[in-house]
Amino acid sequence: MKKEIQFEHVKKSYGDTEVVKDLNFTIKEGERLILLGPSGCGKSTILRMIAGLENITDGNLYMNGEKMNHVPSGLRNVSMVFQNYALYPHMTVKQNIVYGLKVQKLPKQEMENRLNSVMEILQLRGLEDRLPKSLSGGQRQRVALARATVKRSDFFLLDEPLSNLDAQLRESARKELVKIHEMFNQTIVYVTHDQIEAMTFADRIALMYNGELQMLDTPDNVYHRPANVFTAKFIGSPSANILEADYRNGWVHTGNQAFEVNDSWKEHMNKQSFDDILFGIRPEHLELSTSPMSNGLEGRIKYIENLGKSCSIYLEADGQEMIAVSENGSWKQGQSVYVRPQSDRIHFFNKATEKSLGHPAERTETNQTIEERRVLV
Amino acid sequence: MKINRTAEVTWHIIFFAAVILLIFPIVYALGMSFKPLEDAYNNVLNIVPFQSTLENYITLFDTLPVLRITLNTFVIATVATIFKVVTAFLAAYAFVYFDFRGKNILYFVLISTIFIPFTVTMIPNYLIVSEMGLLDTVWGVILPQLADAVGIFLIRQSMKNIPLSLIEVARLDNTGHWKIMKDIVLPLVRPAVTSIGIWFFISTWNEFVWPVLIMKTTDNYTLPLALQMFISVEGGTNFTVAMAVSVVTMIVPLALYLTFQKYIIGTFTSSGIK
Amino acid sequence: MSTLILVREKLHINKENALGYILLIPSIVIFAVFTFWPLFYTVYLSFFDWNMISPSKEFVGLRNYFDVLTDPRTYQILGNTFLYIVLLLVINCVVPYIFAFVIDVVLTRLKGFYKSAMFLPAFISLVVGSILFTWILNPVSGPLAIIFGWVGLEIPNWTKTEGWIIVVLSIITSWKVFGYNFILLYASINGISREIIENARMDNIPLWRIFLQIILPMSSATGIYVFIITIVQSLQYVFTPVKVVSQGGPDYASSNLIYHAYHEAFVVFRTGHSATISIITMALFLLLLFLEFKFVERRIYYEN
Repeated sequence: MKKEIQFEHVKKSYGDTEVVKDLNFTIKEGERLILLGPSGCGKSTILRMIAGLENITDGNLYMNGEKMNHVPSGLRNVSMVFQNYALYPHMTVKQNIVYGLKVQKLPKQEMENRLNSVMEILQLRGLEDRLPKSLSGGQRQRVALARATVKRSDFFLLDEPLSNLDAQLRESARKELVKIHEMFNQTIVYVTHDQIEAMTFADRIALMYNGELQMLDTPDNVYHRPANVFTAKFIGSPSANILEADYRNGWVHTGNQAFEVNDSWKEHMNKQSFDDILFGIRPEHLELSTSPMSNGLEGRIKYIENLGKSCSIYLEADGQEMIAVSENGSWKQGQSVYVRPQSDRIHFFNKATEKSLGHPAERTETNQTIEERRVLV
Repeated sequence: MKINRTAEVTWHIIFFAAVILLIFPIVYALGMSFKPLEDAYNNVLNIVPFQSTLENYITLFDTLPVLRITLNTFVIATVATIFKVVTAFLAAYAFVYFDFRGKNILYFVLISTIFIPFTVTMIPNYLIVSEMGLLDTVWGVILPQLADAVGIFLIRQSMKNIPLSLIEVARLDNTGHWKIMKDIVLPLVRPAVTSIGIWFFISTWNEFVWPVLIMKTTDNYTLPLALQMFISVEGGTNFTVAMAVSVVTMIVPLALYLTFQKYIIGTFTSSGIK
Repeated sequence: MSTLILVREKLHINKENALGYILLIPSIVIFAVFTFWPLFYTVYLSFFDWNMISPSKEFVGLRNYFDVLTDPRTYQILGNTFLYIVLLLVINCVVPYIFAFVIDVVLTRLKGFYKSAMFLPAFISLVVGSILFTWILNPVSGPLAIIFGWVGLEIPNWTKTEGWIIVVLSIITSWKVFGYNFILLYASINGISREIIENARMDNIPLWRIFLQIILPMSSATGIYVFIITIVQSLQYVFTPVKVVSQGGPDYASSNLIYHAYHEAFVVFRTGHSATISIITMALFLLLLFLEFKFVERRIYYEN
């Protein structure tokens, strides 16, 4: 039986408030799925439903092909790392790690072996008899990870496991997680609000907003081929520019200005015209120049934010606001500039539904396989 | 916070006066219990027993079965405390970690019994104890005192301070509720449960109403009841012996308080109301 | 989906929760037998004339209520009860509130000492308190009478004087109750963020304003709780000194509703009257609680 998790019309409400609306998707065996979204989007609720810590209001949840709606947490073969780590404050590191194994009456030898191996992997040697309160944040996080790992369960759930660590520790903790995943190949479901964590760790990202799944795809596709306006704006920093526009015969009209798209877009849009659509472009995909460019829009710099390595340039074109990034620091407020969207990086959305109008055929960078991506992390 | 020196000194004087008012009677009883009666009468203000004597205690042990009475008090306090703490712990656990129909109403009803005056249940409880043939027995005094919702309230309060995720982790390991209770919840609320136990023990030790109603023979008396025999508005001939009984009555509560005061004050100041 | 599975799923959930009920059984049994049944039985007894010994009870309808409510003694005792309440509230609510505020917020030294010393009498038997204060306040030969004598003052013969007896018995009761209330209020004030108080100090707001306008509203939940237990529980604590020192005398001048219910039942064996008085007491407590909540709700409404 495959170690899959399958949602079938799953709903969750507290009284009249629906926190998860009609969820349908499958988490594949052995993948690293990240549930990403702003706070209150329902992502933690989904994780807790998988763990059996929340009841499912409607619909079905299958794990290993079996219906799990009413199976108690303890019988679901899941382990979980909590945001606050949930270490037992009165137990030592060692007691914390083996408590669950003792409850499951694992043979002593097996328990020792698992303990030793996890202490090794997570560099917890020497901390066996310490109490959680005498550990640093990073050590506590590793103990929580160790406790979840020794169970060797099929499903590994993590609820914002790195959010209490500082940036440097986060990076090394991420590497440890990858290491553990490579050793045990569990199906990982990982909740975070941090897009960098999601982009670097995920095989696939499930982006949630308002209790609804916005997009489920690889990090590359989520970035390059956003399915809707929310995805385009949530992923990437600074946020993507979304402008009101009309599309006519290969030309995008924004107010009084217009630029022409490339041939693959023209083909994709099938020689149709669309009035009132949304045109999206990421700040990093805008070319900036002081002199007029073909297919460029004229605008005026309103405000510059210096980030050191680059600056974010806030400008106004045709009464609409845009952000561009530039590594060149010589821009001036009030200056007249020209911006040109890179034609193969633009997006179109239906104004009413905010859904993407699709993208031209595959681009090279989206063809990476999961295995190739893992090498990169 | 900075305030001016005079104000600070004034406040300290006020508080010292209050402390003396509260503590003086205890110290006074201790001093007087070691004085011969005559000396106590002639030197009322002299707390320190210069001609100290054990004569009051000897008289006390001769006239009353003090050991028997102390043992009664101890048994009643211990049994009542264990019962109250255990039932309150179980009830609090149910209220915190289970969700069942009528939970909130039941909790409200139980807690509101704190505000029922004892006279409302006094006659029927007396009749129950009498019907059960428990008049003039230890159980007769214990049973009506077991219905006390304060323990449920305080233990529930301290359980709610345990992060729920600790219990959830254990549930994910398929840990049963009895094991969670024993291995996780109890160790974490032990300080609160200990202080609540001490508080119950001392309240039952000091309890006056039920021993007065239930106990008839001197052999079955508790310490506060025995002490009442020595009360006399005019002072009486037994005044110093009365002081000795007071000391015997106070000694256990005082020792417990002085040993565990940090603990107890901690529980009362951290569990809070609501 | 078959109904069988649905039923089983339902049963499973119920099985999970069944343990919750089981854990509550001991408490429910104890409260049912020793609180709820007695409560109803007392209501029942209030409609009967009975002396606790006779095998038969005579149904008298509302006559007990009529008797009690037309007896001038009831109003004397009701008056005593309110005097007790006022005195106990001042000594055990107002004073410890101010003490807790000053000790926690204003002072920097001896906080721990004051806390342990003031809490200590809460652990001592009120019978001990009664016997000690009876001696210390003895109007002829007690230590206080002698000290007063030096400056030409006299201690009134309080055991024989209407009014004074209530004052002294309230003091004795407060000796035990004060520390408990003080600790609860201290804890609540201690829980208020220091930044708020420091901020007020930087704005040069006088201490009494900080107390009335910041501390009082922010600790009001505990304040109300202490207010209620002072009325409900201290009044029951008063029973002990009344029983030990004055037996309600002289001529009912120190009796309150609690002692009077005891007196009617176990001294003169009129259970009907006793039950009636207890029910009236409980009704008064409920009324007080109700008024308090109404008053407080209005206050909170204005504050926010």
